[in-house]
Amino acid sequence: MTDETLFDEKTRRKMEQLTLVATRVRAGAMKGERRSSKRGTSIEFADYRDYVRGDDLRRLDWNIYARLERPFIKLLEDEEDLAVHLLLDVSSSMDWPREGVRDQNKLLYGQRLLAGLAHISLATQDRLTLAALTDAPIAQFGPSRGRGYTLAMFDFVGRLEAQGVTDLNAALRAYALRGGRPGLCFLMSDLLSPDGFSTGLNALLAKGYEVGIIHLLAPDEVDPPLGGDLRLVDVETGRAQEVTVDGGMRSLYIKRLHDWQDGIRADCAKRGVHYVPVVTDTPWEKVILGSLRRLGAVK
Amino acid sequence: MAFLTPLALLGGLLAVPIILLYMLRLRRREVVVSSTFLWQQVVRDSEANTPWQKLRRNLLLILQLLILALLVLALMRPFIIVPAVSAGQIELLLDASASMNATDTPDGITRFEAARAQALSMVDTLGAGDTMTVIRVSNVPEVLVPRTGDANLLRQAINAMQPGQAAADWVAAFTLAVADAAGAQDFNLVVVSDGGLGAAEGLPGVPGTVRYLPVGQSGDNLAITALSARALPGQPPQLFAQITNYGAQDAAVIFDLRVDGALHSAERLTVPAGSSLPVISTDLPADFQTVQAGLTLPAGAAVPDYLALDDRAWTVNSTGGERRVLLMSAGNLFLEQALRSLSGIEAFQGDPTRPLPAEAYDLYIFDGWLPADGVLPQGDLLFINPPQDTSLFKVGAESSETGAISVLSNDARTAFVDFGSVNILKFRPVTADWATPLVSAAGGALLLAGETDGRQAAILTFDLHDSDLPLQITWPILMANLMDWFTPRSAVNVPDGLHVGDSLSVRPPAGATQVRVTLPDGGVRDLPVERGTVVFADTNAPGLYRVDLLAGEQVLQSVAVAVNLFSPLESAIAPREQITLSGATIQPAAPDAVGQQEFWPLAALLALVVLLVEWWAYQWRMQAPTVFQPIFRRPKVIAR
Repeated sequence: MTDETLFDEKTRRKMEQLTLVATRVRAGAMKGERRSSKRGTSIEFADYRDYVRGDDLRRLDWNIYARLERPFIKLLEDEEDLAVHLLLDVSSSMDWPREGVRDQNKLLYGQRLLAGLAHISLATQDRLTLAALTDAPIAQFGPSRGRGYTLAMFDFVGRLEAQGVTDLNAALRAYALRGGRPGLCFLMSDLLSPDGFSTGLNALLAKGYEVGIIHLLAPDEVDPPLGGDLRLVDVETGRAQEVTVDGGMRSLYIKRLHDWQDGIRADCAKRGVHYVPVVTDTPWEKVILGSLRRLGAVK
Repeated sequence: MAFLTPLALLGGLLAVPIILLYMLRLRRREVVVSSTFLWQQVVRDSEANTPWQKLRRNLLLILQLLILALLVLALMRPFIIVPAVSAGQIELLLDASASMNATDTPDGITRFEAARAQALSMVDTLGAGDTMTVIRVSNVPEVLVPRTGDANLLRQAINAMQPGQAAADWVAAFTLAVADAAGAQDFNLVVVSDGGLGAAEGLPGVPGTVRYLPVGQSGDNLAITALSARALPGQPPQLFAQITNYGAQDAAVIFDLRVDGALHSAERLTVPAGSSLPVISTDLPADFQTVQAGLTLPAGAAVPDYLALDDRAWTVNSTGGERRVLLMSAGNLFLEQALRSLSGIEAFQGDPTRPLPAEAYDLYIFDGWLPADGVLPQGDLLFINPPQDTSLFKVGAESSETGAISVLSNDARTAFVDFGSVNILKFRPVTADWATPLVSAAGGALLLAGETDGRQAAILTFDLHDSDLPLQITWPILMANLMDWFTPRSAVNVPDGLHVGDSLSVRPPAGATQVRVTLPDGGVRDLPVERGTVVFADTNAPGLYRVDLLAGEQVLQSVAVAVNLFSPLESAIAPREQITLSGATIQPAAPDAVGQQEFWPLAALLALVVLLVEWWAYQWRMQAPTVFQPIFRRPKVIAR
């Protein structure tokens, strides 16, 4: 899959004007393009403080000393990079719907979001790590920094395929324990994991990650076009569930879905996790330009 | 509750294959979904929260079994016992006479509609072994449904029945009904009527039980009971009308006359209760064709007029249509006098020294004269003492055997003709095969008449001057009879009009091929002329009927005929509280017989309703989301 199939040039240019924002900025190992809370050596003025013995005389503001006859040290802003982790669930359930409108396929939709956010990240000199979560060993891209990795990133994203069953808890926990610098982490998944994802999320948060969840659902998962006496077979696990779907049952399903999403939203709010539910018939760039902007994750 | 066909319960066995089919049918369709994660929770929730879940799962089966149960119930024909007016073999005589059009019922419907409702309720309570015959009683009673127990057939016939506008012939109706009584075990006559059986009250020995269901409640009615216009020769036409108030209070009414469709006069009259008011009008135009009289209640009238049928009457001018008669004679005072005295004749005197005039006449009278060229004209002919042979007859030698005169009896032409005192000197017997001797003497026929070559001809074989016949009273009678026979006044000879339902006899003139009758409502009936007389019987509504006699498309003659109700029995609409039949007084019937009311239609209707519910339940269960089911809660989950 090439980058053109993920998104067009016009969208890419729009992405280049954006920056990923972490509300709790993590200290970067290298100088980046974003302002640090630490005082540093950039040319941006931050503050003054009294001179103490041992300070570098080169940072003394001689003009102030000439006027006030008191030595002040000029504090300057420091600039640092941000560690950005973009995780995409590539379990079999993400390859849905398999028929119908291709743009509504959750995996393709997730790939586009992944590529979009990664592109923003590389363009702003962030330290980017991409990971595909599956039951197999985690496929990873990066850490990488700079526009020079854009093509490689697109290549990595384009080659992702849905397979197997993903235990989100295990995958997230493994990713958290894998080491590396914690930073801003976006998880793109349908969250249709029987054991949930709470433990894995805890592991990430404990490591100091700032987490955002983009919850992807296909339209036919929100309002299933089903009716009659059915034997529903899970495409991921192969498990079957017999159900008689009538008007009441469908209403019950929709209510259950809403309750589930409300529960996730409340849990995320409690832990300071961004939660963005998305139905894949929404244009994907609106998620970045709209939902994530409103949340303040992108500016 | 009991059942008429309990064996239909066996139909309940169909439940077994339904259940078997349902069990076999329940193979779930396999559908691959992205995840059963939420569905598992939904199933758990629904089973925990909905105790009727199992019932819902089998809802279609339960509904199908319910449909079967209702259908079996309907087929078993459940019934309950209800009181009925009559049972057994019922002959229902439903009055459809003119008076049944009265609207004096509480609901404002006609008496006939009320009678129909009573008849239908009788059908509803018809028992299992009961039968009914429906007879519509009008001017020509007819059996609408012969004896049957089929309630649907009876209902259809009763619902399709319409009231007539003529007087009822109850004698014929009872005769029809009684004809069915032979061998009947439980024979019942049910008369649904407002009474007034007329001549049928005297019918002897009506078998079975007679029950009377009266309809109507008031006698208030104003009617035109007579209307005629006459004109004596030389005098203006005179119109006579009679208005009758059948109610119990004096009634004011506006009486209007329309001459040839235009309003001629209108006057307010007060008709005393229970009596008639004559109205005479002498100011009609001399050349009027038709007159329509009408009654209208003035605004705020205190006395209602419940029957509208007798509020209009029609009459036609019967003075027109004179016959043209040509007399060819050297001079015969008796003949001339007789022709002058007869009404409806326009006589012309011809010159015997000259040939016959070219114009046509209805009748030629040749008195001792025959055309010189021997050619007889087209038209009716009366020969008096013909001098020689013609193509129609041969004249014999003169005879004086004039004794023993005999007159043919039972013939319209010799009605009231008496030759007993007539003396004849001599005559010349005539031989004509086509003619019938009407008056004969010992030496031969004195008067012959008959039809030949499409015309009528009569021959008087003696000279009037050789007898004293013209001095006898028989002479004008004979001439009047002969004139009426030769050329009736009109093809339609009903100067006084007809009653509704009477048949109209039309005698078309020679050459007519078709009789066209235009009804008061504008309808047209064409009748071919096949015999001498055409009978038209469809005079079932009062009004003016126009009779056109056609030769191809050419109208030979056009005559208006007035058809009126003029029936005191129908106009006197006061319902009878009791009727008299065969000397017995019959009171209104009470529902004291045992009837059965079936309610299988209710069970069938319920089955249909459940079937619709089952269809809806099936659709509800199977239906995928559509634009009509906007249950997509997108605003809650969509990312903007």
